[in-house]
Amino acid sequence: MPARQLSVSIPTVTRSIGRHALIAALAAVFVLFAWLAPAFLSGANLLSVLVNNFALLAIVATAMTFAVSAGGIDLSVGTAIDFASFAFVSLVLAGQPIPLAALGGLAGGVVVGLFNAVLIAGIGISPFLATLGTLFVGRSVQQLLTNGGNPVYLPPTGVPDAFRFLGHGTIVGIPVPLLVAALVIAGAWLGLSRSRFGRVVLATGIQASVVRYSGIALRRYTAATYILVSGIAAVVGLILTSTVTVYIPSSGNAFLLNAIGATFIGTTLSPHGRPNIPGTVLGVLLLSIVANGLLLSGLNFYWQQVGTGLLIFSVLAIGFANRKAAART
Amino acid sequence: MVETVRGEVGDIIRLDAIVKRFGGAQALSGASMAVKRGTVHGLVGQNGAGKSTLIKLLAGLHEADEGRIEIDGKAYDRLTPHLVEELGIHFIHQDRLLVPTFTVGEALFLGREPRIAGTPFLDRALMRRRSGEILDRYFGLRLPHSALIADLSAAEKQIVQITRALLDNPKVLVFDEPTAALVRREADLLFQLIRRLRDDGVTIIYISHYLGEIAALCDTVTVLRNGRDVATLPVKQTSAAEIGALMVNREIGDLYPKPHVVAGEALLAVNALSLANRYANVSFTLHKGEVLGLTGLLGSGAKEILRTFFGLETATAGSVAVKGEPIFTATPAKATAKSLALVPEDRRRDGVALELSVTENTTLASLDRFSRGVLDRAAERRATEDLVKRLQIKTDGIEALVKTLSGGNQQKVAIAKWLSRQSEIYLLDEPTVGVDIAAKVEIYTLIGELAQRGAGIIVLSSDIEELLGVTDRILVFFRGQVTREFISSQTSTDQILSEVTGAYETLSNVG
Repeated sequence: MPARQLSVSIPTVTRSIGRHALIAALAAVFVLFAWLAPAFLSGANLLSVLVNNFALLAIVATAMTFAVSAGGIDLSVGTAIDFASFAFVSLVLAGQPIPLAALGGLAGGVVVGLFNAVLIAGIGISPFLATLGTLFVGRSVQQLLTNGGNPVYLPPTGVPDAFRFLGHGTIVGIPVPLLVAALVIAGAWLGLSRSRFGRVVLATGIQASVVRYSGIALRRYTAATYILVSGIAAVVGLILTSTVTVYIPSSGNAFLLNAIGATFIGTTLSPHGRPNIPGTVLGVLLLSIVANGLLLSGLNFYWQQVGTGLLIFSVLAIGFANRKAAART
Repeated sequence: MVETVRGEVGDIIRLDAIVKRFGGAQALSGASMAVKRGTVHGLVGQNGAGKSTLIKLLAGLHEADEGRIEIDGKAYDRLTPHLVEELGIHFIHQDRLLVPTFTVGEALFLGREPRIAGTPFLDRALMRRRSGEILDRYFGLRLPHSALIADLSAAEKQIVQITRALLDNPKVLVFDEPTAALVRREADLLFQLIRRLRDDGVTIIYISHYLGEIAALCDTVTVLRNGRDVATLPVKQTSAAEIGALMVNREIGDLYPKPHVVAGEALLAVNALSLANRYANVSFTLHKGEVLGLTGLLGSGAKEILRTFFGLETATAGSVAVKGEPIFTATPAKATAKSLALVPEDRRRDGVALELSVTENTTLASLDRFSRGVLDRAAERRATEDLVKRLQIKTDGIEALVKTLSGGNQQKVAIAKWLSRQSEIYLLDEPTVGVDIAAKVEIYTLIGELAQRGAGIIVLSSDIEELLGVTDRILVFFRGQVTREFISSQTSTDQILSEVTGAYETLSNVG
């Protein structure tokens, strides 16, 4: 019965295209830039996309995915990056051994998460407002610590090589930032979609009162979520500092909007529109390729932003339209 | 046996032996209904019993294959929606479309706008006056004519629909599941309105699957089952339980399949428990295998004490012990650790997560069981499939989102969550509100099974017949005190009702 087969398969096909709008968009921009800018396809360029554009943003966006999954958002991921970076640089300057300084850096970032946890889980302020407040406070604190925002440089000599390892090192030929990103992504995927913690975070984001009525210590999970987000973001602070050997106040905020964008682009990969790590990673990949490709094709910087915006719009629009269609059938 | 009301001369509508087939499916196979002028006539039946087909025939939306339709003593071969409206029969559908971008005034007079005599201009003053009279008289309210339909609440939209019908001075108003989207207070207002309309001589046909509404509101009720009317009864001479039994074709006893269980050791001991301004000095013990009923009016303290057990409120004095161990400063997490389970009244907000799957909901309270570092999803699926089978949860598979399930099946998921945790003390807060009769019986059966397995169950309900049917004992709360304890098998609905409302107290005060 061919007619019947047809009536079943057409909606299925269109739906899977819609579900995979993100993958289709990735393929499209890849082909487009390969055609527009021959340099794009070179191995060196693709590696640079992964190390310079992808790795750090992927880590920040992974952190953001936890906050969005819990029904919130974290606007202070940049603050956690900066605090980690500041603590790391300060401890190195104070002559501490690199591993200890790195641990101190992570702790510096986690302080931001603890602050958010108190505001959100303790006092009950909405995540958007609480982390916005942290963003502002964090910026002022950094200005106070640095005489109004002066960068803190490490001296060109006398810095141990170990310091540069996080940013510039390789292990079996793979750049360390990319390796760290892969580890964080794998861990976050397990944590969010395969662990008890992730299930509770997801349920909290969907219907918090049911979590509470299921006898789960909701506030403890919420607090843990924001601490985890800052902890992951702090890793970026360390890598960033190690790469550029300088702490620049409030530089972490550069990742914020792209991380949010990638997370929401990623939700289109899920049949129920849920935030998910694979989706977020593909979202970051898409943004990274677009940033690099537009640069190589010599487009005006401002047009690059327009291009990125249009791309986000179209992926989200296809994803939502498709979910609406799925809800009707 | 019950006496069946036969068609009489005073009937405004008579549907006689109606047969309707859709393709091979027989929707109606000889359904009859006679509606007396000036009465409220209930029409009940399970989903698929033929209620909506019968009503669509009356509305002229379908044509009967066989049978006879009489309106006001005159037989009609063929009804059209237009003719039905001319005969003065109007329909209030819960999902009847009002154009959301119209104003109240436009929606009320759509298609029949009065004009200023001799001109093509709308008589806005007349429109406002006529709708104002009706709104004021029946609803005691003024809806601004310029308000947008989209901005109205579900109750206000219904008022617009009813007002639109009343502008035509209808003889018959048909309400199709009118309370589905209303909160309790709004539903009460609707019932008042329906009684006033009846007193003003309007005949009402009221379709619902909430038997409590039928019992409270209707003069007569027709029960449909499998496309046929199985009984038409005067409501005063029947009970919600009898109507329910007729709908599902069971004996009343079968509605409440309560097994006999000998109560065991004490599970939950409550000693002089008090919560300021809510309840005071409440003491009782719940045993293994026992089903204990709580009832009382809103604010009587019954609901608050249930919430206290689950750690949602903190008692100000007294103590609660589970299996001899006292619970201090309870939270829901501590309560569940002590094997307590709450099935909350607001199912769609607190009981189930609508956007999570059946599996994700079922295992939410027992994730420890499935967590070995990472979640064992195969074990989750197995456990959920077992519970879906055991509770007869009707779903498109265990990965379907819970929002796609019917109310009764959502409630079963809310209970399954605790079965997965193997809780021992179940606190059920109005467990069958918004649940159809077949699922109700399944929930009652489950309560009996749990008791047999040695669980202790507290059922809070305002449905007294349900309480008498499923519980062993009933505690009545009145103004924060347990005023009386009843043995369910030796008690009548009236005894409990008068205790619930404090009638004794009032009477003795007066006397």
